[in-house]
Amino acid sequence: MDKLNIVQKTVVSIILATMVIIVVVPILFFLTVAFSNDVEMTQFPKRIFPSFSVTVKVAPAENGEYELFYDKGDGEGYRSIITTKNATKLENHFKRQYGVNISGEKLLEDFSATRENGPMEFTYRKDLLFNFKQFFAIVNNSSKALKNSIIVALYTILISLSIGSLAGYAMARYNFKFKETINVGMLIVRMFPVVGISIPMAVLLIKFGLFDTLIGLAILYSIPNIALTAWITSSIFIGINKELEEASYIFGGNGFNTFMRITLPLAFPALAASSMYAFLAAWNDTISALILTNENQTLALVVYKAIGTTSSGIQYAAAGSVILILPALVFTFIVRKYVNQMWGGVEL
Amino acid sequence: MSNVKSIKSQKKFSSSIINKKSIPYLLLLPAFIYYAVFWLAPVLAGMVEVFTDTNGNFTLTENFKLMFQSELFDKAVMNTALFAAVSVVLQYFIALLLAVLLSRKFRGAKLLMFIAMIPMAITPTAVAILWKTGLIKDGWLNSILMSLHLIKEPIVFLNAEGLAAVFLIILIDTWTVTPSVMIILTAGLQGIQKEFREAAYTFGANKWQIFKDITLPILKPSIVTSVILRLIAAIQVWAIAVMVLGFSKVPFLVERIAFYVDVVPGVATSEKIAFTLSFTTTIIVLLATVIYLKVANKKPSKGGNR
Repeated sequence: MDKLNIVQKTVVSIILATMVIIVVVPILFFLTVAFSNDVEMTQFPKRIFPSFSVTVKVAPAENGEYELFYDKGDGEGYRSIITTKNATKLENHFKRQYGVNISGEKLLEDFSATRENGPMEFTYRKDLLFNFKQFFAIVNNSSKALKNSIIVALYTILISLSIGSLAGYAMARYNFKFKETINVGMLIVRMFPVVGISIPMAVLLIKFGLFDTLIGLAILYSIPNIALTAWITSSIFIGINKELEEASYIFGGNGFNTFMRITLPLAFPALAASSMYAFLAAWNDTISALILTNENQTLALVVYKAIGTTSSGIQYAAAGSVILILPALVFTFIVRKYVNQMWGGVEL
Repeated sequence: MSNVKSIKSQKKFSSSIINKKSIPYLLLLPAFIYYAVFWLAPVLAGMVEVFTDTNGNFTLTENFKLMFQSELFDKAVMNTALFAAVSVVLQYFIALLLAVLLSRKFRGAKLLMFIAMIPMAITPTAVAILWKTGLIKDGWLNSILMSLHLIKEPIVFLNAEGLAAVFLIILIDTWTVTPSVMIILTAGLQGIQKEFREAAYTFGANKWQIFKDITLPILKPSIVTSVILRLIAAIQVWAIAVMVLGFSKVPFLVERIAFYVDVVPGVATSEKIAFTLSFTTTIIVLLATVIYLKVANKKPSKGGNR
């Protein structure tokens, strides 16, 4: 029954290929935008792969000036952009429009060859990190926000891990009254919508003097993550052979020793996964950061604010998003085993 | 000598057994304290805010009246319900279809899973920007459609209003979520023993019957949990809507909260509305979860005789 005929095989392949294309193509275009310079942003249709260099045509003009031509790729061919002999103007033009970092003097020196040879084409390498530099230069608070995001994530990891793993160990190793109730309670906390808690949390944090602080934000992010850590670690602690711990006791290890030497190393994968989750929760959030901060914004919030309502300068926001995506992507892939459980394999 | 040592350690061992009763509570204590201070207290404080007016006097309905009369509230409720229902159904339909196709072994399955994980792994704000670069008039979506000759003139997607705008957000969400749902369902399917299906097949079941009576019931636990998680997330949609289309274009419940926090902060009534909205959203999320769990748990007892 499992054998497919050739027609079915083709249909399946086509469907799968379509899925891959639908997932990958938007990402490719988006990455290209993040590496696009100003003139490329005005081009239509957009390219799917980024360009790495810029080609301009230069013709000598009167009074020692040069006329610059650029092909926008809209079918109209090369057209005149500026005529100048001013080095600063050229340098700025190349920087702003093409994302090329080159000194104006060098450009004039290159162009002077056209006096003898007539109009020539020049190709310059784009500064691929131009949009990223611009993002940090133009967008308010962005470099501070990057630092903030990392710090908040670290605080969140610290809080959730220290409190959550203790709870997880208790849930895995001991039988006690109310265990079921606590289990359900943890689940409710995990499922509780984050906006439901963020707004009242603002009032509480103001009382504690923690409003608009990184630790205040981390406290909020830790709420679902402590429960999550407890859940992940308890499932691992259950799997760790109790006999190993007992053997350690028999050989004279005390509780602390046993925990440090036997239990903790064995539980390390769970702790690593939990910390990455805590990281992702802190890193990916926008709404709570919007509610709980004014000055100490996080990177996700800054990217959110950078987009505004217009679409001009969207390539800088895209560059900012790439920075936002990278750690999120890496960590999600590292914890993918748990992700699958998280997204659906959880036993309720 | 060694005997003495072992007796000693056994004493230690047994003394730790005596303490055992209090140990789990001690281990859970930090979590208890944390949740009492940072979860229960704000939740209660939030409820107090919802049931007091701007002067601090008790009121049962005043803030809800404010919320109901607030701009675009009715639309926000409608859109949120529509978004949650349609996106979840659409995503699970597509994902189930793909998962059934993928449950056979084929080359490149691992790579495919890898690719399928990417959209969900992208930070939501980044997803919004990714799609904004596509949906602007000279964006990549129009570029694709034009070069495939599907359209003659670029479409101005960002002018979408009403239902069209909601569906635009649904499509973006579907792009983000469906591949991951597919992974979950595929993982669930691979757990199904081949023998089950083969047995059913030998007893004369057709493909549809096998799917309905074997595949779906076995998949049910992973479907149930992941649908709840999706539902909870879907009710809280906002960032994509705001970043792609702007505030008030496609009102959603949480979008309204962000609106009162981000656009009109500092006004006493807008604070009250934000509190009431977040309270209402929480209640809706909890209700949706409970109702869904009730419905999902009923089905097997109705259908089967087990």
